[in-house]
Amino acid sequence: MAAVETTQRKVVLIDPATGKPIPPRAHPGYYPGYRTLAQQEYWDEATRKVVLNRIRRVPDIRFFSADEARLMYAICNRILPQDDRDEEHRVPIVPFIDKRLFDGRIDGYRFQSMPPDRQAYNLGLKGIDEIANHLYTSRFLDIGEAEQEIVLKTLHDAKPPAGQEIWDGMSVHRFWMLLVQDCVEVYYAHPWAWDEIGYGGPAYPRGYMRLEGGQPEPWEVEEKRYEWQVSGEFVSDNYEFIAGEAEHFGSPGQGGTH
Amino acid sequence: MKTPLLGEFGSPPARHMLGPIQHIDVPMKRYAETEEVDFCIVGIGSAGGVLLQRLARAGFQVVGFEAGPFWDTERDWVSDESGSHNLYWEDLRITGGSDPLALGANNSGKGVGGGSVHWAAFTPRLHPSDFRIHSEDGVGVDWPMTYEELKPYYEQLELEMPVSGPAYFPWGDPHGYAYGPHPLGGVGDVLVKGCTRLGIRVVAGGPVAILAGSHGDRQHCIYRGFCLQACKVGAKASTLITHVPDALRNGAEIRDNCMVSRVNMNKEGRTCGVSYFDRHGVEHVQKAKVVIVSGYAIETPRLLLNSACPGFENGLANSSDTVGRYLMAQAGNVILGRFDQLVRMYKAPPAHALTEEFYETDPKRGFARGFAIQTVGPLPIAFAKQMMVAKGAWGWGMRRVMMDYNHWAALGLLGEILPWPDNRVQLAAEKDRFGIPVAKVTFNLHDDDKVLANYGKNKVMEVMRAAGAEEVVQESRYAHLVGAARMGADPRTSVVDKYGRTHDIPNLFVCDGSVMPTQGSANPGLTIQALAARTADYLIAYSREIFTSKKRPMEPPPIRRHLAPPETWGKGVPRIANL
Ligand SMILES: Cc1cc2nc3c(=O)[nH]c(=O)nc-3n(C[C@H](O)[C@H](O)[C@H](O)COP(=O)(O)OP(=O)(O)OC[C@H]3O[C@@H](n4cnc5c(N)ncnc54)[C@H](O)[C@@H]3O)c2cc1C
Ligand code: SF4
Repeated sequence: MAAVETTQRKVVLIDPATGKPIPPRAHPGYYPGYRTLAQQEYWDEATRKVVLNRIRRVPDIRFFSADEARLMYAICNRILPQDDRDEEHRVPIVPFIDKRLFDGRIDGYRFQSMPPDRQAYNLGLKGIDEIANHLYTSRFLDIGEAEQEIVLKTLHDAKPPAGQEIWDGMSVHRFWMLLVQDCVEVYYAHPWAWDEIGYGGPAYPRGYMRLEGGQPEPWEVEEKRYEWQVSGEFVSDNYEFIAGEAEHFGSPGQGGTH
Repeated sequence: MKTPLLGEFGSPPARHMLGPIQHIDVPMKRYAETEEVDFCIVGIGSAGGVLLQRLARAGFQVVGFEAGPFWDTERDWVSDESGSHNLYWEDLRITGGSDPLALGANNSGKGVGGGSVHWAAFTPRLHPSDFRIHSEDGVGVDWPMTYEELKPYYEQLELEMPVSGPAYFPWGDPHGYAYGPHPLGGVGDVLVKGCTRLGIRVVAGGPVAILAGSHGDRQHCIYRGFCLQACKVGAKASTLITHVPDALRNGAEIRDNCMVSRVNMNKEGRTCGVSYFDRHGVEHVQKAKVVIVSGYAIETPRLLLNSACPGFENGLANSSDTVGRYLMAQAGNVILGRFDQLVRMYKAPPAHALTEEFYETDPKRGFARGFAIQTVGPLPIAFAKQMMVAKGAWGWGMRRVMMDYNHWAALGLLGEILPWPDNRVQLAAEKDRFGIPVAKVTFNLHDDDKVLANYGKNKVMEVMRAAGAEEVVQESRYAHLVGAARMGADPRTSVVDKYGRTHDIPNLFVCDGSVMPTQGSANPGLTIQALAARTADYLIAYSREIFTSKKRPMEPPPIRRHLAPPETWGKGVPRIANL
């Protein structure tokens, strides 16, 4: 499907029924009117503080250089695109990744094939620019968003066409997972993202009453789906198997479940 | 802002909350460092908490060292996924091998209660066959004890936690649970449906160490689904709330935020206590008659290796070169299915239904041992990480699949991986903030493990499809690290005897998941706590011999049921008064 060109930027989202662009909205997702924050008086004090700070206290950039920060914004806009959100309702991602790196907070381990997280970001950002340069003779920041996705896809596939000296010292696909995990960790911690996916959010001390059959609690809402299509040149809307490094099972997951 | 339901926080309380009702008065007892106490326990986690309680109640002087904080659950814990990182061991470890393990949130806890603070609280027992897999199947190794020796401790700990579950549990040594099962959540519904359609027996509502009814000063479950983020409700058992309060009331001391850096030895080849760094980074020494290391399957071997000294150049209790070796993790693949109708898997405890129908060796399958299938309930961030692997999602694909979060259900495989000498914990070149070398973990899957994990994964996918999922994907994962200081009868091939006493040093014990020689397909927590209660009985019965001699009595000690914490004996009605 052809991209629709507007005066400002490429249109990314299309309503398949009408073929028209879907305008950005304050609250995308299939749960119209659902706001976890509206339930905050039912949360405990410690939780409310943590969640509200996420909205009210967006940290300053202290780890990334100004150049790196600009690059990170562009990258995170593709790892978790928010073109369907209006400007006032985009979830800030880079400041929280920056804070983690500035504070030196890690997840409790480092893969042998990886340098420490800070160094991984410094190197990885350079590598991404080198790939952009190789494919488009231009910096990542200066290419179109669809092209940016093509650059990033080479990391997802663990087949970067440039920056070999960087990837020789650092596992490509582990860097990819680090980046994607850091982004989802920030985005899906935000109450607006909870509204978008219909997740209940904090639940103490009230708890849940309707456990079976996917029924909503009285304060939750029924799902109301709408169709949306991503303009064809944006490759991230296709699911392709992630490349892996581990011998027997490719890319084992890293989250805890049981 | 409105007043919180449970009141505003004031200045730091003398009353330390362990749940909305349960509390403990601080400060606690404090021993002088010059005083030689009877027991030092390194790590107050699943095993350490039980040990501390038993030894204190039996009247011994006991100090527990814990690298993490003593939680005040109302202040420190949140009902939030991203805000719960402080529960995990987040300090550096290096992970490698052909199939590197993820650590951190995927594995171990830090803080009083250890991993029992963030576990899902599934509490199945091992099967009798688990204790003799080498005799029966020619793989792995036999335990130096039988199921029957551990059984009374299983029954005892199931009452102390206590465990809710079905009246009849048909696998292994069939048994029932004294406390009633929980209602089904969306994921349990999927497992029960899928299994039933395929003619696979399944149980629901447990066994889980989650209260189905109020108990002492603990409330029952409110089905909020945040078990892995620590239970603020106090419904899910952790040693912080089941055993530590009784320990403190009986004179035990916990030194929290204190990291033990080495176990010290004297000229006679006995340990004389520990060195540790306090919260300000100042190093101290505590003298003790006996040291018990309960630091988890990574930190325990790390500490033993870091304590090398003249006469013990390869680390303490390591004459067999098995400290750090035979580390195990279970194949913990997560199988995700998308359903047309909504599931909303964030509700209810993630752990609430399982089948052990494939647990035992089945010659028809062409491999030894087996696996279990259990419910899991990833919250959004964990689910997004799973989708990154299972579907390769990112960008718009990530946003799209996440909008369908409520349509997905997740089941967990728990497959037995065998003990191999090359799966091990060693010391890395990197050091932590105290200057102590960190652990380096190496993990390689072997052929037997691959075949089993593949078969198991496919079976779970089949169950998911039978339940009606239209799309089924999976991510591989490993869960539950144990081994690395294994027990055995032969000092040449094991670190400790069947009571946790090291073969090499008469007054040094190991008591935690590291002592397990094999792991079965059961979550290890109940077994770890049952072994801890048994080690405690051994220490109590033979304290005189252990304090002063090398004598190694092997006669099983009597089980001391009267030393269990009294308030965990099922009084039923919560104490609402005097909050
Ligand atoms: C997400 C998740 C879900 C789980 N679900 C289940 C489940 O459903 N059922 C189940 O049975 N198991 C489950 N587990 C596993 C279970 O939590 C662990 O197996 C168990 O807690 C291990 O007990 P332990 O006594 O060996 O160590 P831990 O409980 O981890 O205790 C070790 C303690 O020692 C402290 N420590 C370590 N080194 C030092 C030192 N040098 N100085 C001072 N202190 C130190 C640590 O801070 C820690 O608190 C789960 C684990 C995870 C990660
Ligand atoms: S689901 Fe139940 S046991 Fe789990 S955290 Fe919530 S109240 Fe606690």
